[in-house]
Amino acid sequence: MPATETDRPPVPRRGLMARLRGSTLYRSVVRTPGSDSPSGRALHAFGNVFLHIYPVRIPRGLLRFRSTWRLGFISSVLFALLFITGLYLMFFYTPAVSMAYGDMQQLRAQVGFGQLIRNVHRWGAHLMVLAVVLHLVRVFVHGGYKAPRQFNWVIGVGLLVVTLAYSFTGYLLPWDQLAYWAVTVGSGLVKYAPGVGNVLRDFLLGGETIGQAALLRFYVIHVAVLTVAFALLMAVHLWRIRKDGLVVGDTGVAHDVTARVDDRIALPAAEQADGVARLDDSRRVLGVVHVDEVPGRSRDPDDEVFSWPALIIRHQVIALAVCALVLALGIAFEAPLRDIANPNLTPEPSKAPWYFVGLQELLAHFDPLVAGVLAPGALVAALVALPYVDRNPSRRPADRKVALVLFWAVFLGLVVLTIIGAFFRGPGWAFVLPWEHLYFEP
Amino acid sequence: MDQTRRDLLEAGWTVGGGLLIAAAGWTSFVALKPLASAGGGGVLPLLEPDAYPEGSATFVRQGRLFITRTGGELHAISQKCPHLGCAVPFCESSGQFECPCHGSVFNAAGEWISGPSPRGMDRHPLQVTDGRLLVNTAVLEEGAPLGSRKFDGRARGPRCTTEPAD
Ligand code: FES
Repeated sequence: MPATETDRPPVPRRGLMARLRGSTLYRSVVRTPGSDSPSGRALHAFGNVFLHIYPVRIPRGLLRFRSTWRLGFISSVLFALLFITGLYLMFFYTPAVSMAYGDMQQLRAQVGFGQLIRNVHRWGAHLMVLAVVLHLVRVFVHGGYKAPRQFNWVIGVGLLVVTLAYSFTGYLLPWDQLAYWAVTVGSGLVKYAPGVGNVLRDFLLGGETIGQAALLRFYVIHVAVLTVAFALLMAVHLWRIRKDGLVVGDTGVAHDVTARVDDRIALPAAEQADGVARLDDSRRVLGVVHVDEVPGRSRDPDDEVFSWPALIIRHQVIALAVCALVLALGIAFEAPLRDIANPNLTPEPSKAPWYFVGLQELLAHFDPLVAGVLAPGALVAALVALPYVDRNPSRRPADRKVALVLFWAVFLGLVVLTIIGAFFRGPGWAFVLPWEHLYFEP
Repeated sequence: MDQTRRDLLEAGWTVGGGLLIAAAGWTSFVALKPLASAGGGGVLPLLEPDAYPEGSATFVRQGRLFITRTGGELHAISQKCPHLGCAVPFCESSGQFECPCHGSVFNAAGEWISGPSPRGMDRHPLQVTDGRLLVNTAVLEEGAPLGSRKFDGRARGPRCTTEPAD
C-alpha cells in the first residue's frame, strides 16, 4: 500500500487502458485523471461523487481496524445488500393475504436463485441489526457522542430505530405462522401506550385485526417509507461525520478531520485579504470561522494519509468480506418459512425475532404498559438524551467511570434478557434448558 | 415601520407554515384512517344449551370463541388473549385456557389464574331464544379484573404447557 507522501513523478502509461483513459469520452465521464501523486490521490477522492463522501485526508490512526471496528461501514454495506436483494424480492411478491404465502413458495420452488436471495435478505437483516447495535456500543465506548457530535448521535439512534422498524415490518410479509404471531404480539403492545394506544394500533394495522390492510401497510412502510427515512438520516449522518470530524479509536482522542464551523460566525481578524483564512498549511476555511473555535491542535498534517487509496481499499476489502459472509450464510442456512398464517392457532412457543425477545421476556414478568411501552420508550429516550445529559467532555475511560458502568449494566441486562428469552424459554414461556430442547426461531 | 412589516411577514410565514403542516397532518390522518370494518360480527346461532356439558369447551370457528360450562353456567369466551392477542387454546387435561405466548392461564370460565394478562378473558353475551343458544359476537365485554375469581382456579389434571419455573 503506497502510504508515502512524497510526490513521485507520474509513471508513464502505455497500452489500451492508458489510451482509453486519455480519450475524450472517458475524460468527460471521469472528471479527474488518476495519478499516483498526492494531488492525484486527493483528486481521486475529491472529484468523484461517491468517493467525495470521504475526506481527502484522514488521520493515520483511522487505518487501524480497531479504531472503529468498521461497524458503521459494515452497516452501510449490509443496507446496500438488503436494498438490492429487496428489489429482487419485490418482483416476485404481492402484498395480498391470498398471494403472499404462495409467492414465498414460488420463490423457493420456481424463481432462479429465489430462495438464496431471500436467505441473503433475511440473514443480512439480522446482521444489520447486530452491526448497528455494535456500532452504537463502539461509539459510546469511544465517547463519540460528545460535543460537537451530540446531534449526530441522535441521528444514529434514529437509524437504529428505523433498522428495527424495517425488521418488524419485514417480519410480517411472508405471511406464515411465525410472521403472523410475532406481529400479533408486537402490535398488541402498541395498544398499551397510554391514551393513544388503540388509535395508534388501528392506524398501524389499518383495522382491528391483522389482515389485508395490515399486510399492505407493512409492505408500503417497509419498502418505501422506511427507505426514504433511512436515506435522509444516512445523508445527514455521513455529512455530520464530515463536518464534525471523527473520533478515532482507543486513543480517546478526537481527530477533527474538517474544521468545525461554529455557529458564532466571525471573520478572522488576520489574513482575510482574499477572503480565505489560512489556519495552517493544510486547511482553508472560507473566512467564516472564528479562529479560536477551530480545534486545530488535534490535527497533525504529518500524521495523515490520503483516503484514496489507503482507507478506500480497506473499505472495499471489508465490503467484499461482508458480502461473502452473508452469501455463505444464505447458502448454508435456509430462511424459515412455517405454515401459512392461521389466526385460530398460535404456535408453541411464539417467539419474537431475537432482537425483540428480550422485550418478550420482560413482558412475562411485568405489566405490558411497563414492559412493552415504558421500558423500550425510556431506553430510546435515554439514548437520545445521553449526549445532552452526559456533559463530561473527557473521552478517556478513566474519567467516565459512571457513564461506562451504567451503560454496560444496561447493555448486559439486555443481553441476559435476550439470551434467556431466546434459548431458555419453551411452550407457554416456561423455563427450559436449551441443551434439552432448543426453541429458537431465527 | 420596517420592523413591524418584517415582523408581520415573519408571523405570517410561521402561521401559514403551521397551517400547512396541520393540513398535511389532517389529510394524512383522514386518508390513512382504518376503513370501518364490515359489520364487526353479529348474532350467531348455536346448538341448544344442553349440548355443552359441564367441564367442556367447544370452539366456535366463525366467532373465534369458546363455549364453556362451569358451575352450571355457560360462558362465551373470546379466543383472543387479553394480554397481547395470541389465540389461547383450551387444554383438555387441565381444563384451563393456557396462552402459548407468555404463559397466562385462565380457568374454564375465562377468569385469570396466573401470568401477565391484565384481566380475565374477554367475553361475548349469550342468550337463549326458542331453546337455542345465541351468541352476540358484535359485543365484547372486558374480562373480569384480576383477583375477582368466582370459580375454581385449580387444574383438573396435568397442564399442557409446563408450569413456569418462577
Ligand atoms: S398473549 Fe397471552 S399471555 Fe401474552
